[in-house]
Amino acid sequence: MFEFYARSLEASMIFTFAALGELINQRSGVLNVGIEGVMLFGATLGFIVAQTTGSYAAGFAVAILVGALLGLLHGFFTITLHGDQVVSGMGIWILGFGLTTYIGSAYAGPLGLPRIPTVFGVSPFVFLSIALVPVVWFVLSKTSLGLQIRSVGENPVVAEVSGISVARTRYLCVTVGGMLMGFAGAVYALNYNPVWNYNFLMGWGFISLALVFFSLWNPWILLGGSLLFGVFWQLALNPQLVLPGLMSRYIWRTVPFAITLVVLLLMSTPWFRAKWGAARPEALGQPYVRD
Amino acid sequence: MQHETINGFQRGAPVLELRGITKRFPGVLANDRIDLEMRAGEIHAILGENGAGKTTLMKILYGMLQPDEGEIYIRGQRVKFHSPQDAIALGIGMVHQNRTLVAAHTVLENIVLGHPRAGRVLNLKRAGEEVAALCERYGFKVDLKASVWQLSEGEKQVVEILKALYRGARILILDEPTSALAPSETEKLLASIQAMANDELAIVPFITHKLPIVLATSHRVTVLRGGRVTARLDTANANERILAREMVGREVIFRLERATVERGAPVLQVEGLSALSNRGYLALRNVSFTVHEGEIFGIAGVSGNGQHELAEVLAGLRPAVGGRVLLDGKDITNASTLERWRLGMGYIPAERNEVGSIGDFSLVENTAMNYYFDPQYARRGIVDYKAMRRLTEEIIAHYKVVTPGPDVRARNLSGGNLQKVILGRVLARRPRVIIANLPTQGLDVGATEFVQNQLIEAKKAGAAVLLISEDLDEVLALSDRIAPIYEGAFMGILPGGEAEREHVGAMIAGTLPKDLVV
Repeated sequence: MFEFYARSLEASMIFTFAALGELINQRSGVLNVGIEGVMLFGATLGFIVAQTTGSYAAGFAVAILVGALLGLLHGFFTITLHGDQVVSGMGIWILGFGLTTYIGSAYAGPLGLPRIPTVFGVSPFVFLSIALVPVVWFVLSKTSLGLQIRSVGENPVVAEVSGISVARTRYLCVTVGGMLMGFAGAVYALNYNPVWNYNFLMGWGFISLALVFFSLWNPWILLGGSLLFGVFWQLALNPQLVLPGLMSRYIWRTVPFAITLVVLLLMSTPWFRAKWGAARPEALGQPYVRD
Repeated sequence: MQHETINGFQRGAPVLELRGITKRFPGVLANDRIDLEMRAGEIHAILGENGAGKTTLMKILYGMLQPDEGEIYIRGQRVKFHSPQDAIALGIGMVHQNRTLVAAHTVLENIVLGHPRAGRVLNLKRAGEEVAALCERYGFKVDLKASVWQLSEGEKQVVEILKALYRGARILILDEPTSALAPSETEKLLASIQAMANDELAIVPFITHKLPIVLATSHRVTVLRGGRVTARLDTANANERILAREMVGREVIFRLERATVERGAPVLQVEGLSALSNRGYLALRNVSFTVHEGEIFGIAGVSGNGQHELAEVLAGLRPAVGGRVLLDGKDITNASTLERWRLGMGYIPAERNEVGSIGDFSLVENTAMNYYFDPQYARRGIVDYKAMRRLTEEIIAHYKVVTPGPDVRARNLSGGNLQKVILGRVLARRPRVIIANLPTQGLDVGATEFVQNQLIEAKKAGAAVLLISEDLDEVLALSDRIAPIYEGAFMGILPGGEAEREHVGAMIAGTLPKDLVV
């Protein structure tokens, strides 16, 4: 049973990294649905570099760098060119899917490096991911920078009038967010399951995206959600653990999405709006055009 | 005149001067050699209709636009603003009419947003103390921890003023400061403005209408028309008639003729109507009234007291949670919007740009939105655009809409002209009942007069008119009967000709005057 929970925690750490990256993006008003693509890139290039150099550090560094570059690319399309955020994000996903398959197929198979040692029986990244939650929360809610980021995501016009550069703030967020997504991919490919395969992520990025909506854009709820989703994910791999033979792994895998749908439905009810106000960043998904 | 110096400002000393400010836009001379002088401790109102160049001048003052010609001096020093940041740094503060606040943030977060001294880690405790001191000093009351979306319009304005003051503004530009406020809120604001002026701030309110407020508060008035300064007066030497003449360029009749029309059969009957607000609470409580042929029934109230919900329920845009609505005796409580239009209802929504029109559609298409179901204009689902175009041209001619033509996009029209098109397309159908929600809000003196006269004409033609307005004077002048609304319920129904302004004003603030028996 410990093994089950340990693996669940390790699944949730990947959700946490990726979803925190997406949350930072979205709080500044930029939706990046290409999160799966960024993770694929980070994972694949990190995997290749780690394997060729024999250095985990180089692998992670490359993954973070690639994530940052893809974040910047998304920023260029959506912030500078005022392009549609969903279209740009889908483009990044499809590009990631295609290109990593092409580049990575030569490296299919296990990583071949000694495993990263565990701490208390789980990956050290579990602790890093949990530690990152209060950091993101503090920056967003207690610092000037965080107030600027949230203002840009809620009402870029007001932010601009208040002397904040909307473009610069959004670029910062897509870059940092992209770094976290790329890193999340590398944690998967170098630590969680160090074997390269065709389309090995199979929806981790999309679950992380759903997790941000589930979290109501709150890092603490995001952490809770990612722990929960981690358990569901692990159940999807070993469905016989709870209800043997009853539900296939593919049904379990949809559970996080089903929960997110319920949360989104709840959010749109008058009851919820009256009680919680608007949780969703008001300007999410809208390009900001200065006039 | 006193000569004391506070913060380097001398009472009566010029702090801001504009010399020969000119700004051209393609085809328009928005500002034509404007000279202005603002003094410390003075309330200097800038008056002008829509299109007089006020907005342009305001944007130049705040660094949002750069003038083509002319110079700006602050305390005798020539300055150039490249952005609002430059203006803020030199002590200019701006309170926008379209509130520039983040709805999801708290009051305090909004105030410190972008402030250079906010620090890396926000010190909200210290900022809170400083802002509280400002509130104390000038008599503002607002909960700093509340989220902005929970505030009334008046409170939001207070937040904007506090934000400017916290930034160190010594020259405060106010865009239509009282247009969205309740009478009681207006009084408080004026007292605070007075307090700030006593503290050597220069206060510059830009005003389109509400001339009495100009007269009551300001020390000097500058009137703009067609981009030029047409008058510069000490308020002591001004009166309403002079100011209106300078603004409009002709004599304006302030007394509207109350047409006495024989009251006909009941058209719109509302019985015990209740409705919920967007936030889910009971916004309209058990309201009953009847509007007859040839009658204007006025609902007076401060924004957010359920009148908006009432208009939407009547138009079929919001479900009723109790009560009935009858149109010519037919129950339409649950009827669709289209059925209501067919039965002779005309709706003039408060949101001209969001609900009343589609900005990217031409005027012809916008007119068609009210006629696509009319067999005269659409056969077998095909709209007769030739006929629609003719009708639109008639509306443009009859209502004197200023537009290059009927194919112009709605968003390119000024508020007053767009409202004329909306009014025209409703009235052209000769509706049995007209629901007019804030029909003159934000319009200048000329357009307001026009819209009000059209409503009177409709009444003379036998329509039942439900007028919802936040402008007390408008309701008093137009209505045959007046229902003050407060927190979703009527405070009574008064006969229009005899209702006293003070009584109605007290009732919309929720108090029943003692000497009034309803």
